Amino acid sequence: MARHNKGPVTRLDNATYSLNIESSERAVLNTLFDQLRDVLMNDSNSDIARRLFPAAYHQDEQHEAEYQRLMHHELLSSRLTSLSMTADILGHDTDSDRIVISSDQLDVLMRSVNSLRLVLGTLLDVHEDEADVTLDEDDPAYGQLQLYSYLGWLLDWMVTAQTTMN
Amino acid sequence: MHQRLSVENLCASRVPINARELLDGYAEPPRKATTINYSLPIGHTSVKINRPNTRQNETVPIVKSSQTDVRPAEVAERDSHLDNQVENDRPWIVLVWNDPINLMSYVTMVLQKLFGYSLEKATELMLDVHHKGRAVVSSGTREHAEFDVYQLHEHGLWATMQREDSR
Repeated sequence: MARHNKGPVTRLDNATYSLNIESSERAVLNTLFDQLRDVLMNDSNSDIARRLFPAAYHQDEQHEAEYQRLMHHELLSSRLTSLSMTADILGHDTDSDRIVISSDQLDVLMRSVNSLRLVLGTLLDVHEDEADVTLDEDDPAYGQLQLYSYLGWLLDWMVTAQTTMN
Repeated sequence: MHQRLSVENLCASRVPINARELLDGYAEPPRKATTINYSLPIGHTSVKINRPNTRQNETVPIVKSSQTDVRPAEVAERDSHLDNQVENDRPWIVLVWNDPINLMSYVTMVLQKLFGYSLEKATELMLDVHHKGRAVVSSGTREHAEFDVYQLHEHGLWATMQREDSR
């Protein structure tokens, strides 16, 4: 398969990128993003919510309340819009294991992957540098830690593709 | 209706994802994913920030002496104007805090994208975040700082803002 010789994201030119992820794999990612959307819509008082919607004025409760009153919904809308665009991108051309995306679409994908990673990392209570952690197959969270690692790997490829010149 | 995202249901069969299998077909990652490890500024502290001076709109009676007119109203207005000027001249700063999840490469890229920093400057700020726990990434008016904080939050970074002299 073509993907053996390349990463999941490669830069084609200054404006386009190739997303080399099989359609079945993209569908799995979309399932996870569906869950993230559900979390955003229904979870407003948890460590996850606090991580996705952090305080802006951490030293001033009055300013913070005003800021959240004005900006929380806007940030929520932005995240939901990104997820909707992500679903469209990943669901595009389901017969192909390679799709061409724009720079803006890559940016949307990165934000969605990072949001999912923030949620998973918060749920897993990640503290240690993952580079120093050896995954233990007997760990009940082994699957989630693998997924967390996978999302980090995917995001790092996206960043590299965007920041590396041809 | 989707289940809530949780450690448990991510493990469930409805999400048949196996990261190891997903990774098997690909080339090696360009480099190890690296995370940042510091505590986050969760919650509020009791530190208070000076409120803007509002005396400017107060009316002050003119006091007339036998020798000359003294117009405290003007003095008061000028003082409050200067006070407000000082308030406005004190910039707000935007800080990015270390967290154990965001990739260093991602943080660097976001700082470049949002603020137009060179790779060297963005890397320097990212390393400050990593080693010192936080870094000032921008400063300016309150409105400007709020916009920067919003954009940083939109990209998943842990950012806060405060008066420069409240550090």
